[in-house]
Amino acid sequence: MWMQGDKYFYFEGKILSSTITKLNAPLTQAFDFQPSSELQSMPTPTPTLNTITQRLAGFDTLTSALEYAAEGITGYNFYNARGNLRSVLPYRLLRRNSRMLARRLCGFDLPRGSRVAIIADTSPEFMELFFACRYAGLVPFAMPIPVNLGSHAIYVQQLRGMLESSHASIALANLDYVSFLEEAASAVTNIRWVGTPERLSEFPEADIAFQSNHPDETAYLQFTSGSTKTPRGVVITERALMCNLQGIVRNGLEIRPEDRSASWLPFYHDMGLVGLVLAPMVTQLSVDYLATRDFAIRPLQWLRLISRNRCTVAFSQPFGLKLCAMRVRESDLKDLDLSCWRAAGIGAEMIRPETLRNFAEKFASAGFNENAFLPCYGLAESTLAVTFSKLGEGCKSIQIDSKTLIDKRVVTRLQVDGRKQTEFVNCGRPLPGHTVKIVDESGDLLSETMVGSVLVQGDSVMAGYFNNPEETNKALKSGNWLDTGDIGFLFEGDLYITGRRTDVIIVNGRNIRAQDIEELAEQQPEVRSREASAFGVSAEDGATTIVLVIECRLTSATERQSLITRLQQLVYMAFGVNCVVELVSPHTLPRTSSGKLSRFAARQGYIHRTNLVDQLSLVESGER
Amino acid sequence: MTESYDEVMQLLCDRLNAIVNSNTLVTADTNLITQLSIDSIKLLNLIMEIEDAFDISIPINALADVQTVRQLADLVHKIKTSS
Repeated sequence: MWMQGDKYFYFEGKILSSTITKLNAPLTQAFDFQPSSELQSMPTPTPTLNTITQRLAGFDTLTSALEYAAEGITGYNFYNARGNLRSVLPYRLLRRNSRMLARRLCGFDLPRGSRVAIIADTSPEFMELFFACRYAGLVPFAMPIPVNLGSHAIYVQQLRGMLESSHASIALANLDYVSFLEEAASAVTNIRWVGTPERLSEFPEADIAFQSNHPDETAYLQFTSGSTKTPRGVVITERALMCNLQGIVRNGLEIRPEDRSASWLPFYHDMGLVGLVLAPMVTQLSVDYLATRDFAIRPLQWLRLISRNRCTVAFSQPFGLKLCAMRVRESDLKDLDLSCWRAAGIGAEMIRPETLRNFAEKFASAGFNENAFLPCYGLAESTLAVTFSKLGEGCKSIQIDSKTLIDKRVVTRLQVDGRKQTEFVNCGRPLPGHTVKIVDESGDLLSETMVGSVLVQGDSVMAGYFNNPEETNKALKSGNWLDTGDIGFLFEGDLYITGRRTDVIIVNGRNIRAQDIEELAEQQPEVRSREASAFGVSAEDGATTIVLVIECRLTSATERQSLITRLQQLVYMAFGVNCVVELVSPHTLPRTSSGKLSRFAARQGYIHRTNLVDQLSLVESGER
Repeated sequence: MTESYDEVMQLLCDRLNAIVNSNTLVTADTNLITQLSIDSIKLLNLIMEIEDAFDISIPINALADVQTVRQLADLVHKIKTSS
């Protein structure tokens, strides 16, 4: 039994539970790879082909999906920065360990549905805790790891915000991160216990039978912002999750028994968690993981994993593809064979066709087939996926007449040469049972080719933001239509996104809420509330710069410079990006009749003042 | 091979001077965030170079407490001498 007469051993400098390899033994023997005596020094990844018949989702809850997956021999594999296998967690072992941890969690005697916070580094422990929560009838949620230089204080504040807003009862983190968590939890009243998975495993197992979960129960929360004051935890029920997963694996990806995934996406993002942890599990596929940090530093390790393990399904934000294309050298290409990669899912930020073309060109000689590109659109508020383009057809786009688009907000295909054009990527059609519509500012339905707000309806849509009726009411319209906040149009039934909401700025693949930046500014003594406005401006090459405009009464040059420097430092620590800070005199920022700052107008004003040419704005109504 | 603290510091300053191509001369007290505007891509490049040069692995949680060149040198030196 796990943790009983427990022996730990070091592998690649990391303590692993000996059972991880012990349980791997029968599988390896079945395949007759190597004598089990060598296992401790050289674990083998779970195989691609399973021993059980593949089921493509269609389960009623997460735990029933895991019960089935555990009958097979596939599972999760974790690699280190050098691309060596670090640990193996077959679904069979995941089930065992999660159930054992669940019985320890039950010892806390928490009410059903209590929240459990987990700092989600790319580790087997995260999966075990996540599923342990579900077996125990608790609601897990993943919290980010600190990724920015000097971010200690702000990171702790962000954690505290999530712990408070979720009313979490228990908070867990691996040894590397637990001190941040203890610091964050110290002043949070609801918290009963903070610790590491190792500490949890010292608790006794409660002698109880698990109650089965109901599809209407909350499966997990997904936090969508780095706000310290107003974090938003999306509530996803088992039903919504199962519905979205089924759409993804059956319709979006048409998963087959010979598929295998590779991923570097963080487990605390919806695409990483739902798309590359849960979707493979409900189809009993094996997955090879690389930590996000290791990918960011050596992006080619991801491609090497795909090549070596013949992975077929791997997703990335466009930024990830950019990193790969930027870092690759001629000499790397000859060792790569990416011809196995049939579904290269692209999502999570605006897709620029050049990024994909550039990647395809760079990796064509390594066997990458550009028809593998699979642009999709989605958001955490709809579990993950909303639309998928057609599998195996690559990235399709259309050229639109820019002037008509801006003047009339109507899409017309480019007719005459020489007119300025804008290219938009086809994100495809909604998953079965889901509908996308485009509406104007007053909520009236727009016809095809008209640009407006993108709304989604279907079973994948969230139940709301946890304990936050105000934000929930803003996002969920009558008839349970989710206002995505994104701007786009439908053309021949397919969805095209022309601009993300103005309240979200995307820099190098990170989604940053404008409100969170303004909130940081307003914490400074010199800045009053509602006197800061943040937005993004894009350069010709697509690179986005964050601009923070502050109405400021300071007159001394030293004080003004000190404020600017401090704000830049704070934004960097919280979000890992540089920003431009502009101090303007009071009453410069445009306000709506209700006194609310308009980011759109603030951005137009800034562009006007700084004479930025060609900053066409295709987003006029994205704020909500 | 063990580098002395001074060697670590020297290498960091040299690399940073090359990366940031600004007029600021990088010293131990230079603030990486406010003075050098190290963006996420530059930071990743720097970490990769440091890891390769010293054959170490820098844990991501440790960077949360790094703001100056000296703090970075302390961290690298600590990892290097304890490995």
